[in-house]
Amino acid sequence: MSVKTLLIGLDGATFSVLDPLMEQGVMPFLRSFLAEGARAGLRTIVPPLTPPAWTSLMTGRTPGQHGVFDFFRMESDGSRAIRFFNSNDVQCETIWSLASSHGMRVTTLNFPAMFPAPRISGHVIPGWVPWKQLRLACWPEGLFEKLKSIPGFNQRELAMDIKLEEKATEGCASYEEYGPWIDLHSRREQNLFETLRYLIQNEPSELAAVLFDGVDKLQHLCWRFLCPEDDRPLETEQELRLRDLCLDYFRKLDRLLEQLCALVGPEATVLMASDHGFGPTYEVFHINAWLEMQGYLTWSEAAHSRDTEGALLGVGQVARHTWLLDWTRTKAFATTPTSNGIYILVNEDGNSPGVCPSEYLSFRDRLMDDLRTVRDPDTREPIVKEIWTREDAFNGPHSHAAPDLTLILRDGGLVSILPAAEAVSRRPMIAGAHRPVGIFAARGPNIRRGTSVGELSILDVAPTVLYSLGVPVPFEMQGRLAEEIYHAAAIEARPLQKAEARAPSVNGKSVGTARLTEEDEQIIMERLRELGYVE
Amino acid sequence: MKTNRKEILDYVLKTIEDLAHDWDYSSAITPDSLLFTELGLESLDVVVLGTAIQEHYRFQMPFAEFLAELGREQRDVSIAELVDFVDKYLNADIREAEPVTRLSQ
Repeated sequence: MSVKTLLIGLDGATFSVLDPLMEQGVMPFLRSFLAEGARAGLRTIVPPLTPPAWTSLMTGRTPGQHGVFDFFRMESDGSRAIRFFNSNDVQCETIWSLASSHGMRVTTLNFPAMFPAPRISGHVIPGWVPWKQLRLACWPEGLFEKLKSIPGFNQRELAMDIKLEEKATEGCASYEEYGPWIDLHSRREQNLFETLRYLIQNEPSELAAVLFDGVDKLQHLCWRFLCPEDDRPLETEQELRLRDLCLDYFRKLDRLLEQLCALVGPEATVLMASDHGFGPTYEVFHINAWLEMQGYLTWSEAAHSRDTEGALLGVGQVARHTWLLDWTRTKAFATTPTSNGIYILVNEDGNSPGVCPSEYLSFRDRLMDDLRTVRDPDTREPIVKEIWTREDAFNGPHSHAAPDLTLILRDGGLVSILPAAEAVSRRPMIAGAHRPVGIFAARGPNIRRGTSVGELSILDVAPTVLYSLGVPVPFEMQGRLAEEIYHAAAIEARPLQKAEARAPSVNGKSVGTARLTEEDEQIIMERLRELGYVE
Repeated sequence: MKTNRKEILDYVLKTIEDLAHDWDYSSAITPDSLLFTELGLESLDVVVLGTAIQEHYRFQMPFAEFLAELGREQRDVSIAELVDFVDKYLNADIREAEPVTRLSQ
């Protein structure tokens, strides 16, 4: 067996960074890859954020359809506690489950929303799992022991260290911390590459996929050094050295891309994609502080008496908002700094704090009007560029779990959820923030050479991956096959196949009626009985 | 599914012992071991451990509420307390507990 399709995720990659790097000779392989294949901008979903965006890429569905909106979600309806997202939140089929159910092996490495690992045929090494828990996360059983036999395997660097993750958005304390942090990401990508190479060489799958996420991290923290033209010229020797280290990261990444493509050979289709783009951010909107100033939110006494210093955004403590707020006097609040989402507390039973259901729409309209008045104190320019209501951004069966409002800020930045003296503050140093258009690139048999096809949707990636594998594309996928990257004759010779809609499944087994065998139905009934659904 | 507290304790201890081998943690792991200060876990480690426990028993438990409580009180938690929490929800009236369902994976 050989790899038929290789999907390479480059978290946060943008052509506004990659094009200059290719022109400067930092990424010669990527340059030749694009010359021999197709490229496009890839428009992401709202919000342009890692968990919902990668889930949209994996499912071809929008967040309201797949159910992932942020790194966190409310534990349950009515709960104020939030929990970290996981694979159980993904409420529809993925390219992994679809390929697996068509008898193919799949290797997926470092993608989010993959823990607990789905029981697919092949290998799952989930992303966004703390390094101490990596053993628990890998599928199938025994895979982790095999990985430990890879020379140079380092689980601490392969998986996530939350303290290091925080630096990407909260910043480093000093310039001295940047160098080792950048080096770590080069080693991490090398670890990911070695892991995938081992699996491709020893237990190959038809679909192999890896997500390199250092691109996102470096662009968050090191935008100053990557794109000094967005700020002021680099001056000190230390600043110039940090730029060199950043370029070295991309140089090494380019070599890994080259080796990966060589590994799968010219017969494989190679697709590259990012979950969103990137650009500079100069300021922070202290959303909960602003809500407090406007009378929508009240801090608890603990918010004033306990230490909330040392963090800019409030990424580190998952539960912080539960004790920061006086829930008897709060009507609107943000729980996380990642999704730019505002929740409105609704008094559903008539005896709770919050907004009466009958006043919800007028309350929300007033809040939106007030948000539009937030201005740059110097230029008077609006800070909030777009406001998405839940029904507009997240239409679908899972929209109830989404924030009531989602903000797009003028510089694409993140909000802070911590107390602050002012609503808007300048960042100590320019940083990188997400933008709506990422990258897409493809090379392989039947892919047009040296073509640029404008802009695709992130929802188009899943149908395109399935087509490259010869797997029928479910009707309910919202994206389309990116036909324009293929030679017309190739599409004519092998037209896209559409599949019947499949009902949701439990633990990988469909519970719908579509094409179930009697044995399938027996297994499902046993499973439902175990779960207490059927007596 | 009903599982007695001893079985839960054995499962949680075994799981953490297996994981701790990968961290080169050499001290004994007992029911009194503290997750944060002794085992060096971060809150996200406990979240993931909680998800694994729920997956194992196929029951959804309010781990986020549990963690929020710890954060509010600014205190550590022992393995025994974690087991008490699991036991409380796992062995509550089965109709009150919500089974974990994994859709479409």
